[in-house]
Amino acid sequence: MALVACFLAPSLLIFLLYRILPLIWNVVLSFEAWSPLHAATWVGWDNYDEMLHDDDVFWQALWNTLIFMASQPIGVAIALGIALLVNSDLKGAAVYRTIVFLSYPLMTVAVAIIWRWMYNERGGLINFVLRRLGIIHQPIAFLDSFAWALPSTIVANTWQVLGFFMIVLLTGLQNIPPHLYEAARVDGAPAWARLFRITLPMLKPSLFLCAVISILNSFAAFDLVYVMTNGGPGHGTELLITYIYKVGFGQTRFDYAAALTVAQFVLLLALAWLANRASGGNAGALE
Amino acid sequence: MKRRTFLAGTAATALACPAIAQSSKKLTFLSWNIVDQADMFKRWFAAFTAEHPGVEIEWLDKKGPDLPPFYQTQLAAGTPPDVLDLQGGIGIEYAAQGALLDLTPYLTAHPDVKARFNQDYLNNWVWEGKTWLVPFYVAKTLLFYNKPLFQKAGLAGPATSFDELLAHAEKIGAGGTDQTGFLTLNFDWLYWALFKMNGVDLLSPDLKQPVFDTPKLVEVTEKLAKATAGTAINKISWTGRWVEPLGAFASGKVGMLNAHAPAYFFLKGQGAWINQDTLGVAELPGNWSVPTLHGYGISKGTKNPDLAWAFVEFCTARKQAQEMADSRRVLTAYTEVDNALMGHLEKDEPLAHAVLATQLEHTDKLCGNWPLPNDSRIKDAFYPELQNALLGRKDAKSALDEASRKVARELRRA
Amino acid sequence: MTARDRKLLWLRHAALVLISVVMLMPFYWVLKTSLTGENIYAYPPSLWPVKPHLFNYVDVWYLIPFPRYLLNSIIVSLIAVAGNLVLNAIAGYALTLPFPGRRAVVVLLLSCMLIPFQATIIPAYLITARLGLLNSYLGLALPLISTIVCIFIFKSAFEAVPRSLIDAARIDGLNDLRILLRVLLPLSTPAIATNVVLAFIWSWNNFLWPLIITRDPDMQTLPLGLARFLSYMEDTTGALYAFVVMVLAPGLLVFLMAQSSFMRGLTAGATKG
Repeated sequence: MALVACFLAPSLLIFLLYRILPLIWNVVLSFEAWSPLHAATWVGWDNYDEMLHDDDVFWQALWNTLIFMASQPIGVAIALGIALLVNSDLKGAAVYRTIVFLSYPLMTVAVAIIWRWMYNERGGLINFVLRRLGIIHQPIAFLDSFAWALPSTIVANTWQVLGFFMIVLLTGLQNIPPHLYEAARVDGAPAWARLFRITLPMLKPSLFLCAVISILNSFAAFDLVYVMTNGGPGHGTELLITYIYKVGFGQTRFDYAAALTVAQFVLLLALAWLANRASGGNAGALE
Repeated sequence: MKRRTFLAGTAATALACPAIAQSSKKLTFLSWNIVDQADMFKRWFAAFTAEHPGVEIEWLDKKGPDLPPFYQTQLAAGTPPDVLDLQGGIGIEYAAQGALLDLTPYLTAHPDVKARFNQDYLNNWVWEGKTWLVPFYVAKTLLFYNKPLFQKAGLAGPATSFDELLAHAEKIGAGGTDQTGFLTLNFDWLYWALFKMNGVDLLSPDLKQPVFDTPKLVEVTEKLAKATAGTAINKISWTGRWVEPLGAFASGKVGMLNAHAPAYFFLKGQGAWINQDTLGVAELPGNWSVPTLHGYGISKGTKNPDLAWAFVEFCTARKQAQEMADSRRVLTAYTEVDNALMGHLEKDEPLAHAVLATQLEHTDKLCGNWPLPNDSRIKDAFYPELQNALLGRKDAKSALDEASRKVARELRRA
Repeated sequence: MTARDRKLLWLRHAALVLISVVMLMPFYWVLKTSLTGENIYAYPPSLWPVKPHLFNYVDVWYLIPFPRYLLNSIIVSLIAVAGNLVLNAIAGYALTLPFPGRRAVVVLLLSCMLIPFQATIIPAYLITARLGLLNSYLGLALPLISTIVCIFIFKSAFEAVPRSLIDAARIDGLNDLRILLRVLLPLSTPAIATNVVLAFIWSWNNFLWPLIITRDPDMQTLPLGLARFLSYMEDTTGALYAFVVMVLAPGLLVFLMAQSSFMRGLTAGATKG
């Protein structure tokens, strides 16, 4: 028991200092009115009241964040497809794996700059290809369009994290004992049955991890949104995380930003719990 | 008697001297995105510390979006930088938050310093009757126009009224593929002259009520939205930041650009076609312009207010201001210095001269520069709705109604 | 190999090649933009660099202290990676042992993941200031010196090791630390590799934290350098994109060097029973 404490202590200390204490700071602050130069005064539920009843940007940001998260399974599905294709002694598998993962080590700011350029109406590749193929005749202002801005940022985010999902799923696939497949083949089970009866259930822990990472991607998307669209047009790509940052540092309302942070935390807890139930309770094999 | 006091005095000084030598004062100066002037600043710091022995200057530079989080964190930690360089409305915001030191007493005690500056520019930083910053470098919006495109469209010169401006933009936009008539920058209220020239005001004189939701503004917004939907106004006006709008104008396909003077140097670097014969410079109709200013402020939490003031006084002194003006070719609001710069440029760089000349004229017609303690929040309440209307997502009336409601709410909260 | 198998193999390769092209296209486009001599804002853009030149790269090299920033980033990432390996391994191991309150600890850790950095800036700064670590390499690395995802990666890897081996080691009298070092870690190379890669990536790309706690220009890391370049010298030629390429290159190179063992570690897992 003492050993466990010793081994867990260093990590727990870091998390205490850099995550738990700040969270508590936020929770307390969300019930106060404070700015860096004035003493805090207790205002009870005022901040939450404003958030829920008097702030349509909050609802827009919440909606955008949910859409963002709802689109993540597409990325996971694509990554699973790639992982299945690449999971074997296929010649050159290592090269393909590397190529797909290559986008993940990039700084998100750089990814944002790259994709902002890709979407550019004049010099961007996407408009160029679409126009050359005759699909459109006028360039589409992807990042300025109310309809296209959020999907465009989602595409950029998916491109970046695809490799990460693939790695997690690959690791999971590697841990599936091959004899299960052998037995199924012997029994005459077709490929899709093997996928649904063996692969997916055995991948539950990895899928749960992917689900959690998907939820976290909305954090990683901060830099992406900030550089690509700054939440625009008109809050069309505003995520909770960018809104929190703007309210805190742009409008200097740390107390209100704290309430938003707590709200986001609660939302994510709920989503993580749902993901846990969906992957069979007890966090897959994380228990 | 005299000798004893003299000896006592000497002894006292002798005892005090080591103490002075030991206490080294540190002055932190936080500047806004001006790292290209590093050499100039190093010279200034050397000169200042020569005059004030024992003082050490720490220089921090952050770019625009990075400065607020850095500064706020420093405030929360109780270690705010002593002297700040702030751009635009954020100066008054920080003053209203209580972060800045009231400079009025210093300016009253040093009337010669106060008299250096163009008073219209200086008054931009007056809030609640007190002055909070002094000018570092200043700019305001003007109209750049593409003379060849104007000639091609058969236009004699820049417009003198809003409707004429739109008509010109229409003509140029129709003049060729990928061509648009008019472009404007949109951060920090830089587009406001377009509304002011139509007699629209954002807020009541006491800054407590929004008064912009009028039929006139709806009409103006609808005209702008229609022009944006076509080729008269380039959409980047409402969605771009700095690079895209200036890049578009520099590519030679846009007829007019509403931007502040520093844009000129950027444009010159990008557009090979730009020279005295091809780039026109004018005021906007009505001679209205929006200022964008950088000023020196002192943090209230500074441990050495007098030293900080001495530093500010030093940086805005004749020699330093002249160096700044010469090096960056920008106006400092230090009247004599600016006049001297204009004198040089008239001979050496006539186009730059023409651009900077607009910065000195009509400083009584500044708009879009309300001293608001919650400038960012008002902007956040107003601009997204305006953008909705201009980009055609919402009709002008409902967008402006919504904006009015949100702005009123922010003003109520202040 | 039957004809059908061969056809499937070709399809697999075709699909993977298509995916690879899609994944690599943005890289190529940025590279091309940084090298091309055309006006990049003119339509239509050319697919290949027109009159390619290296001036953009030269500009960037002289404009910021690239080597210094690179060094800073390397040091901070080394500290972060080393810290992660040690802290995460022991924490991951502790979580494989039965102890009262284990479930609570797991839930606690998972919840900690849901706290974004942007919401912790001010308290994190105040705490780091208290520790006297502002403007220091350790201070830069500290918030990322242990990460929850990586703890769980170790935990899963350790749990996949057959119990028999661990039991045998215990019977031999090895204490927990020895078991960890001699038995578990050698069999968990994929997890180690994953930890290294992820810890490196997350610490290397961190932008907001260095922004807040560095004061000396000499202590800045590479992402800060990119941002600094973005601000004043944001210009419409390829220089911005040259900078993107230059900032990405070290991270990519390190990854490419490490990826062979990283990927080998993964395939080695395939032979595990």
